Amino acid sequence: MKLVWRSTGRFVADVRKDLSRRHAFAHERVGFVGVRAASAHDDGIVLIADQYFPVADSDYVQDNRVGARISQEAIRKALEVALLNKVGVFHVHMHLLPSKRLWFSDVDLQDHDNLIPDFFKVRPEMPHGALVLSPTSIAGRGWIGASNPQPIGEFNTVGSTIQIIRASTVGDTPYNA
Amino acid sequence: MNHEADFSRQSFLGAESDQELGATRVAIVGLGGGGSHIAQQLAHLGVGEFRLIDPDVIEASNLNRLVGGTQADVDQQVPKVDILKRTVLGIRPWARVEVVKALWQEADALLRDAHVIFGCVDGYLQRSYLEGAARRFGIPYIDIGMDVTELQSGGFAIAGQVIVSRPGCPCMRCIGFLTSARLAQEENDYGDAGVNPQVIWTNGTLASLAVGEFVKLRTPWCPMHTDYIWLELDGNTQTVTNSLQPRYARIPERCPHYGGGDGLGDPFFKLCHMS
Repeated sequence: MKLVWRSTGRFVADVRKDLSRRHAFAHERVGFVGVRAASAHDDGIVLIADQYFPVADSDYVQDNRVGARISQEAIRKALEVALLNKVGVFHVHMHLLPSKRLWFSDVDLQDHDNLIPDFFKVRPEMPHGALVLSPTSIAGRGWIGASNPQPIGEFNTVGSTIQIIRASTVGDTPYNA
Repeated sequence: MNHEADFSRQSFLGAESDQELGATRVAIVGLGGGGSHIAQQLAHLGVGEFRLIDPDVIEASNLNRLVGGTQADVDQQVPKVDILKRTVLGIRPWARVEVVKALWQEADALLRDAHVIFGCVDGYLQRSYLEGAARRFGIPYIDIGMDVTELQSGGFAIAGQVIVSRPGCPCMRCIGFLTSARLAQEENDYGDAGVNPQVIWTNGTLASLAVGEFVKLRTPWCPMHTDYIWLELDGNTQTVTNSLQPRYARIPERCPHYGGGDGLGDPFFKLCHMS
């Protein structure tokens, strides 16, 4: 199943701006994106970014082993987004250390494997997942069930131009797109 | 295929423009005088994936403007989509071309993951519906249309427009192109010079303008710096200007007509409906 992510340039710029804000102790910020979906040609799904929900400053937990750790309250609020808004929910954070390719760290992958399936308990009919941003690129995984995440194959950002970023078969994208 | 040699004359569009255009999926709704020109030009440009949607077969009255159409096609009542598929593949045999001989509402799965939708339809209502679909799926919409009006002083005035409507930006209602009065008109009776008058040179001019706007969207050549494009063609003097009409519309800061909530995606989407 081919997953295509779509958002406006302004939306992504706003998310990047929020995730770039300094936090009192967390090294990076986290947010959640509510998405709408539609089936598409060739058994594909188009994921359309709807609303961004930043994690509140008070919902971070101090943990020096990771860039950011969010509290159970933050997760509860994200689950509530899915419950009340009839949307899929995608965890989002940003990698600011330049590298050749953009992809999740091992810790990210493990955390998402624990977190994302919970969204299917409150909103089973929608896809959920996780995104990672760089200053110019985006990569991600989508769950179309409580198990077996798959890479998002393509990202369309519509601004003054249409940016189309294609992922490798494992999901990573160029860090500088 | 040697891309560098193939597209060397348009290399100024950007170092990777041939790959970018080759990876672009366009949907063209309506393959008459405007849509056929657009399909042909996009094939020359090197666009890689086409979704062509039109319910009609070619008729003798279409031969005055339908690019690629022949008398033999008229004799055999060939669907317009098949004529344009033949045209596109004749130029770029490697292009992926999907065709549907149907109303676009019956083929909207082909629109949903397109990168750009070209609307070459008759009437304001169809434009409104098509822009609504483009907004729902987060896709830029490029609209073209022409009109011939009989003047009281005698003679006819040819006019046309190209509008670029992007998600998150003012829509065709916001800028004053689609109004309640216009939407109330029947979709095919807004010209005075016979039934839906169309001529090839005006269709071609409008199609070229639309393709130019598409290239701005897909390459770094000349990015748009405005939230919308509304070009007006005076077909009599053959001049193109930015429409002044939006000056008289109160363009809202956020489009109130589309987007947000159930206005995005398929409100009835369920994963269990996927195969």
